[in-house]
Amino acid sequence: MDSLTRFWTGQEVYIMKVFLPIIIGFLVLFMGLLAIFALSIWWRHLRLWHLGKEENRSDRGALRLKSLLAVTFGHLRFWKELYPGAMHFLIFWGAILIFLGKIVRLFSYPVGLTNPPQAIFQYASFVSEIGGLLVIIGGCMAVYRRYIVKPSRLETKPTNTLIYLWGAVLLMTGYFVKGYRIAIIGGSVVPDWPFWSPLSYLISRFFLILPTDPLNELLVWHRVLIHALPAFLFFAYVFITRTPLQHFFLSPINIYFRNLKLRGVLAPIPNFEEAETFGVREISEFTWKQLLDLEACTNCGRCQDVCPAHLSQKPLSPRRMTQNLKDHLSREGPKLLATLPDQRQPEAIMGTTVSEDELWACTACMACEEACPVYVEQIIRNIDLRRYLVLVETKYSSEVRLTLKNLEKSNNPWGMGRGLRTDWAKELGVKIFSQLPDPKILFWVGCCGSFDARNQKVAISMVKILQASGIQFGILGNEEGCCGDPARRIGNEYLYQTTAQANIEILKRYGVKTIVTLCPHCFHTLKNEYPQLGGDFQVIHHTQFLMELISSERLKLTKPINKVITYHDSCYLGRANQIFEAPRRILKSIPGLKLVEMERHRNRSFCCGAGGGRMWMEEHIGTRINQMRTDQAIEVKAELIGTACPYCLTMLFDGIKEKGKEETMAAYDLSELVDQSM
Amino acid sequence: MGSALRPLAIAVEIIILMGVIYSLFLAVKLSALDFGLEEKYQKFIDWVFMIMGCLALVFFVAHLITFYPRLLALTLH
Ligand code: SF4
Ligand code: SF4
Repeated sequence: MDSLTRFWTGQEVYIMKVFLPIIIGFLVLFMGLLAIFALSIWWRHLRLWHLGKEENRSDRGALRLKSLLAVTFGHLRFWKELYPGAMHFLIFWGAILIFLGKIVRLFSYPVGLTNPPQAIFQYASFVSEIGGLLVIIGGCMAVYRRYIVKPSRLETKPTNTLIYLWGAVLLMTGYFVKGYRIAIIGGSVVPDWPFWSPLSYLISRFFLILPTDPLNELLVWHRVLIHALPAFLFFAYVFITRTPLQHFFLSPINIYFRNLKLRGVLAPIPNFEEAETFGVREISEFTWKQLLDLEACTNCGRCQDVCPAHLSQKPLSPRRMTQNLKDHLSREGPKLLATLPDQRQPEAIMGTTVSEDELWACTACMACEEACPVYVEQIIRNIDLRRYLVLVETKYSSEVRLTLKNLEKSNNPWGMGRGLRTDWAKELGVKIFSQLPDPKILFWVGCCGSFDARNQKVAISMVKILQASGIQFGILGNEEGCCGDPARRIGNEYLYQTTAQANIEILKRYGVKTIVTLCPHCFHTLKNEYPQLGGDFQVIHHTQFLMELISSERLKLTKPINKVITYHDSCYLGRANQIFEAPRRILKSIPGLKLVEMERHRNRSFCCGAGGGRMWMEEHIGTRINQMRTDQAIEVKAELIGTACPYCLTMLFDGIKEKGKEETMAAYDLSELVDQSM
Repeated sequence: MGSALRPLAIAVEIIILMGVIYSLFLAVKLSALDFGLEEKYQKFIDWVFMIMGCLALVFFVAHLITFYPRLLALTLH
């Protein structure tokens, strides 16, 4: 007898008499369940998403598909954290293997593909067994983490516990069915079992069996039913109710429709003059994609773990906010759908589901979006809510009120007279761009470089470098205005658009082609957001420009700075625009400087606390974010903190003072260090 | 050896069966809440399922003690 025939010895009766009727019953019911599933996707999800506003997310289909496959099957975004990444990988691939093995066995016999004895049945059995083992390992890791380690980011609801328990029961009963079959047939009689069904074989060694074949058949029948019926009901539960496991289809949909543009670029309010309301007051004012985001959130808490607002004890957790909005959608969505559009009285989001403190705590740092495995977009949603508060309800703190007033009146957040904008440059012989015969480069100083004493030093260093390198450049002088970033991130889109349009007009009038900025916020706004209003310029951040000067040897750095430095990645230079290398290469070009990295650097960098308009607001709640970042620099024993952003420089400069470390530590912009080393 | 294993095997089977029953009852309750059942009925449902769960437990114990196999597969073959 060959090994394949031996493998089948005694199995035919169970396959024909016990499994086949149950399989057929299962399949018939499952078809019905799939129909209900399709209906429930439409009824419970699609209709809700349709409540939202239009947004085009169907461009670049091939790229979307490619990234969907890479993220889903390769778990690209999960591996950033080893333990949860490995845990999910094991469960995901284990489940797929179980499913594959089952499918082959379910369908192969009825259609005659593998009318036993055929080898594919053995392979399928093996694949399922290994899949089950992977799920057991991943499941144990998950249970250990959720119920023993209990990280604060994980919220355990009864449905989570149910899924673990039910999954464990299904795995056990599955192994028991096969184990009992092996026990009856006799594992020692059929020596191939240990190889093709290793786990079930192991279990079979401990089974008690009945004395006669009919009784054993009856028990196998019991066991199959105890496995198949709960399995069917498990699918019904997952398909129809809103369980966390629904992420098996919601997450891939969200990944497919993810934002393919640069992160952190806000969309303008279209037809500003004719719009009746601004921003988002109620759930149906979000776009369909924003509603999909809410449903796709798996409540994994990765965003919460990296959120500077949450970590500094502010009332904001991006995870909780997303989940609360998801509950809001589940609660309010069906009510809206049941009412005629003109009779709807939707509940406001602010005050019921999201608090003002929560909303204003966001620094728009994008760390949450960087961490999210399913690409939930938080920033645009928060800004939409702010737009409603600011533009419709005019509800904001006195500090925000003052900033907006200053921006309106003086075109800078400090409310300094427009005529004072160039005072810092008086002694430097800096030319006004419009007066240059053949201007090549516009140096966009920004409000911080123009008015803030600490950042004026940075602007001065930059001017010295440009002059030393023989670059023909000019500044706009008193015609330069705020780029509009603070107004936009605060939510005053109207002020942003008027400011930006005025700037664009001036830049176009003088035929500006290339702009070098000191500030990543100016850089991001001019480069990525002005094109929305017709302003297309080549915008370069000063770190990129300096790097270019150093590599082309127009700038020679000879004086050593014998210090240990750590570089703080600004959110809008790093995470938003992916500029990580240029600043580091500059630092490495300075003789004597030793670069050490903080634990959170590059894409994972920790915000300084000033983004999202927070530069202009007091931090009344929790620990100051700038102090937390300073602590991280102290931890790596840095003597200097290098930055490339005036907001970050201000925050870290203050952080060092607040920590009483002025004697041993200092914060510098990279251009200042380059200037010192020239 | 078979008879020494029997109470243990029955206990394992009961744990699994009660796992199935608990999962099903909890799933019914959570589904009902998900479909809009008011929270105030939760207690009532809990009680009903508790009673049904106890009945199921008694049934499983009696059934398994009566019918559960006695031969150890290893010794038979
Ligand atoms: S953008 Fe930054 S501060 Fe805002 S929710 Fe995300 S991580 Fe938190
Ligand atoms: S938003 Fe993303 S990272 Fe945050 S809990 Fe939801 S899925 Fe996880």
